[in-house]
Amino acid sequence: MILSLEALSFANRGTAILSGVTTVIPDKALTCLVGPNGAGKTTLLRILSGELKATSGEFLIGDADATRLSQREIARQVSIIPQDVQPPPYLSVSALVQLGRFRPYGALWRRLSRQDHVAVNASLARCQVEALSRRRMEELSGGEQQRAWLAFALAQEKKFLLLDETLDGLDVLVKKSSFELLKEVAAEGKGIVLTTHDLDLVTHFADKVIVLGSGKVVYEGPPNAGWEHRVSPAGQAR
Amino acid sequence: MGLAMGPVKLDVHQLLSAIVSGDDHTAHVLVWDLRLPRVAAALLVGACLGVAGCLLQSSTRNPLGDPQLFGLGGGAAVVQALAMAGVIGIGAWGLFSLSVVASLIGAGVVLLFASRQGISPARLALIGVSLSALAAATATGILAEARIFSAQPLNFIGGSFANVGWQDVLPALPFLAVGLALAATVMGNLNALSLGDRVAANLGAEPGRTRAASIAAAGILGGVAVAVAGLVGFVGLLVPHLARLLVGHDFRKVLVVSIPLGAAVTLYADQTARLLFMPSEVPAGLVTALLGAPLMIYVARRVL
Repeated sequence: MILSLEALSFANRGTAILSGVTTVIPDKALTCLVGPNGAGKTTLLRILSGELKATSGEFLIGDADATRLSQREIARQVSIIPQDVQPPPYLSVSALVQLGRFRPYGALWRRLSRQDHVAVNASLARCQVEALSRRRMEELSGGEQQRAWLAFALAQEKKFLLLDETLDGLDVLVKKSSFELLKEVAAEGKGIVLTTHDLDLVTHFADKVIVLGSGKVVYEGPPNAGWEHRVSPAGQAR
Repeated sequence: MGLAMGPVKLDVHQLLSAIVSGDDHTAHVLVWDLRLPRVAAALLVGACLGVAGCLLQSSTRNPLGDPQLFGLGGGAAVVQALAMAGVIGIGAWGLFSLSVVASLIGAGVVLLFASRQGISPARLALIGVSLSALAAATATGILAEARIFSAQPLNFIGGSFANVGWQDVLPALPFLAVGLALAATVMGNLNALSLGDRVAANLGAEPGRTRAASIAAAGILGGVAVAVAGLVGFVGLLVPHLARLLVGHDFRKVLVVSIPLGAAVTLYADQTARLLFMPSEVPAGLVTALLGAPLMIYVARRVL
């Protein structure tokens, strides 16, 4: 299954944020979305997660026309960790990951099923946060928090995972190990889209790069030698 | 204790015989017409305020959530003041309905502000406190203009169960049922809302709809509480925090536990208010304020 966009545009109060974006988000791959601030990266993720509707163009999830689907229907396939996400300070890691198994409007006393527990434990183990599961989110370092959020996303068992600058702000070693983890998770079958400003790690780990500049795709493909020249040191797409 | 204690004390034998038979007419009237409705009213108002506070705290992600602090009871207070002043005379059921409608208008204002991105918990509470103060001033002004200087308006502004009868309790029951039913439709979504609107929406929890239903239910329950006992403050703030200490942070459990806990806190507050300076008494709201005000200062210091 892939996410495909064809001539997709989005405007907010008459201002074009995305114009004619045509690209494909494959599964089983780590796709990095790169571009300067204001290039439209977050808006693109919000469209992919169903939070925003494109002004025009096509958005397909597999063969399904996602422009006709509700946010809830899209969310069955796509999970997102937004940039400014803040968990309540009291929440433990295991409580957060268990919320990944949340069912809207479910039975009031719905308890986690055996299958839910298997998914939660597998996600905690996959993201190496098992030992932290009883700790509160506010007690964790930045890198540990990001791994907990990733476990929360994996517990949802959705096909695609969108991460909005989730790793930016972490120190280099933590960021590198997080990229390695994402690469492994993607290889196991997930389609992951990560927006980031760290071009070196993108070159090293990404399966695919999409460079956005002023709301347009200026480069799409593997991180072959020289791809980063599409993004200027000042962050402006060329 | 609420049935046996008071200026006229009843021992266990007298109390039981007063409940099951009318042989001792004075004791029967004392229990059935004076003390029992008062106990029932305190339990009902406490349950309403506890649930309303829990709904407000969870749906707005604001630990200062309280129907009185958020200004929900203000509109109902004005309606009650108008009724006391004789400006509107529409019977108990009409008055309850009008109080709930007025409280729902206050809930609409809270929803309007709470739905705006980036509004801080403290700012939302400040807006609510301002609305509450404005409504309380308006209610006091109406009562002063009508030259009502009995204990009734004082009890009303302070929040009291003195002189509450069955006629004040029974009309509240259907509104309580509607408020709880509305809360039940969305209470399963409240935990997801704690992760923020965008993550909650991605989990399918429909934060806008969940918040609107929660605040509307809090408006109904807050309006009912004011119609029965006036402005009993801080119960809605206090009870969910106590419930979290008992059952953790699962909002489904917190909401359910807030029903008996709110009822118990309010009942004991009223009994304290009734018995501490017997035979005279103080409004129950003074006792709840003594408990709740320090908590509010503590929580506000943490969220500011």
